[in-house]
Amino acid sequence: MIPAIVWCVQRITGALLVILLIAHFWVEHFVSENLRRGDLTYDAIRARIMNPAWQAIDIAFLLIALVHGLSGARNIVMDYSRIGRRGARFVTAILCAVGAVWAWWGVAAFANLK
Amino acid sequence: MNSYQVQIRRSSPGHSYVRSYHVTSAERMTVLDALFRIQAEQDSSLAFRCACRVGMCGTCAMSINRVPRLACKTRISALDSPVVTLAPLPNFPVIHDLVVSLEPFFEQWKRIRPALRGSPSDTLAIILPDPDISRKRDCITCGICYAACGVKASHADYLGPAAINRAFLRVHDPRDSARQQRLKILNDEWSGVWRCHTQFNCTALCPKKIDLTETIGRFKRTLLVS
Amino acid sequence: MKLLLRKYAGPFSGMLAHLIQRATGLLLLVYLFLHVRTIYALRGGPAAFDRAVAGFRSPLFKLLEIALLAVVILHALNGLRITLIDLGAKHAAQRRLFAWSLGAGALIFLAGAIPLFLSSVLGR
Repeated sequence: MIPAIVWCVQRITGALLVILLIAHFWVEHFVSENLRRGDLTYDAIRARIMNPAWQAIDIAFLLIALVHGLSGARNIVMDYSRIGRRGARFVTAILCAVGAVWAWWGVAAFANLK
Repeated sequence: MNSYQVQIRRSSPGHSYVRSYHVTSAERMTVLDALFRIQAEQDSSLAFRCACRVGMCGTCAMSINRVPRLACKTRISALDSPVVTLAPLPNFPVIHDLVVSLEPFFEQWKRIRPALRGSPSDTLAIILPDPDISRKRDCITCGICYAACGVKASHADYLGPAAINRAFLRVHDPRDSARQQRLKILNDEWSGVWRCHTQFNCTALCPKKIDLTETIGRFKRTLLVS
Repeated sequence: MKLLLRKYAGPFSGMLAHLIQRATGLLLLVYLFLHVRTIYALRGGPAAFDRAVAGFRSPLFKLLEIALLAVVILHALNGLRITLIDLGAKHAAQRRLFAWSLGAGALIFLAGAIPLFLSSVLGR
């Protein structure tokens, strides 16, 4: 059951990321005059980033990207039988921990918005 | 009539080297024909395996110009090169010269319980031929798919295309009673169908033209919904 | 993987695509790390954030951004191709898909890279 779900989640998150990335690219490069010029400043993104809805979308985006990316990294490691089944479980635990810290960084970025 | 240089990666335990031989080709000469010539006329110590010589047994599989193929089915002229490089099949332990041990292949083969496990009831089953499945019966256990698989190159425990393909035949056989057992082995994330990354090397090189990647893909979809 | 490349000369029906997928995936993970760490500077307020992103206007950086776009497109299109295979596309189809995805990828890349490039040049 589980390996099938992991495999399926990888495809689904991948597809979602394509859509989210297009939207992200659009919003960050084409929406305001500043951004079109390539001027990235706090003020340039302020209006959007203060909105809790956008924060939620950004966090969801990061979580989906982390699941897809770290799951992919785990897949690479699983292809080398030298680490053994126990080694693979260990690597999975490490990647989960890394993912948790990484996610926290992303969420904590929105902590002090003015 | 062309002259070919045949470079063979030979070895005896602990010692590996390349030896070159010159062969004048005859019409429709295959790599296996060339090997027979070399062994008979130039170097009787050359070791290689063969049996049927007509592409039915799978015994003469080897690396020909760095592509795993059957030596008896590969015409020297079709290689389009004056130099023919022969080496033992990759991903297998080498015994001597071009002879490899197929132990790892059959270890995985046995894991999926290749024999039909009879059903408890003794009713006679009439099985209509299914073109979808028929072609998958053609496997001659040559080991080429195993040799070409990118995952097998780094993963000693992965089942490999041939074993998964044979499991497919058993799982789809209405007389078989070990379906759940086989699916469990195939479903193993570490060594089962999930290790396949659709590289298609196996499908491209199977001498019996079995669509192995498709077989594995079917299992992935089956295991997803079950 | 490297071992096999020395002993194997093809056909590379899907093997190169697979390697590209892994390489681009790892690159993107590295990028994501840098990106999240940079955005973390928001926490320090406007001054801190602007300082952290000041270096992003340099021409080298713009070129790297365009390179990033290429990496993303490669990984995304290849990923979509793999998903199609997982849904049942056959061997012959997947080779065509790979060729098409390279072509479509090039077009999409240009569609994104040219505005980026022009804005960084004209916007000065």
